[in-house]
Amino acid sequence: MKTILAVDDSATMREMVAFVLESAGYRVIEAEDGAQGLERATSTSVDLVITDQNMPNMDGLTLVRSLRELRDYKSVPILLLTTESSDAMKAQGRAAGATGWLVKPFDPATLLEVVQKVLR
Amino acid sequence: MADPRNPGTSDAAQAAGLLVAVAETLNERLAVTAEELARSQLLLRESSAHLMIAFRGAADRIVAAQNAAANGPEERNAEYALVLDHLYRAVHHLQSHDLVNQLIDAQKLRVGKMREKLEEALSLAAPPAREPQQPEQWIERSRAMLDCIVAGIRQIDDDARAPVRSDKHHAGSVDLF
Repeated sequence: MKTILAVDDSATMREMVAFVLESAGYRVIEAEDGAQGLERATSTSVDLVITDQNMPNMDGLTLVRSLRELRDYKSVPILLLTTESSDAMKAQGRAAGATGWLVKPFDPATLLEVVQKVLR
Repeated sequence: MADPRNPGTSDAAQAAGLLVAVAETLNERLAVTAEELARSQLLLRESSAHLMIAFRGAADRIVAAQNAAANGPEERNAEYALVLDHLYRAVHHLQSHDLVNQLIDAQKLRVGKMREKLEEALSLAAPPAREPQQPEQWIERSRAMLDCIVAGIRQIDDDARAPVRSDKHHAGSVDLF
């Protein structure tokens, strides 16, 4: 079973992501911000990270950069799931090493499609 | 009070009085806005909390039933998939509740900052121990008040830094790099 780390400071958003992914057979672990996400990612083996951008303590882009510095996370897919939709922000995400950018509110079927695609 | 024998001082004092009236009126309106935002958020939060409880109950049941019937009749699994599809639609709308809640938080913060600046402007208008007697002193005080009022109004520009920026056009979009 693939493990997905969902990082978001909104409990509702984490719950929505977890429900959609768990209903499709994935194991989901959660983190409330980038710092906790980094801690979870280093203590558990994770197959995919889905992170929000605007969070306290550590934002999503910083989390992506921090993860990409770790040997185990050089090729693990990382998706940004955020309300940010500007091209400039997406370019920053790409430069940081993100695999993809999804804009909230997400469509569950689309999220599952993207997850299946990047985990292939 | 302004010196009535000096018309320059009297005019400058009147101008300062106008600024006070502007700041007070804006502050009163913002107080009403802040209260309405707080009430709206409370209603939204209560409604979202009830929806989440109902959602959790349904979601837990359907996932458990789906797992239990994984190798069961195809017809039943199709029915579960249909229920799941309805819950997926709810996921979409529950996210919107959450985003609106964040948007209200951002608006409350902005209104709060505007009010802080207006109150600062009003505090400048409070009668000092020695009232200004010269027009220059009134003008200086008015300028300081005006700076505060403008700084308060500029909080509206902070919209660009609001946490919720997704618009309908981009919502749900996907870019894979």
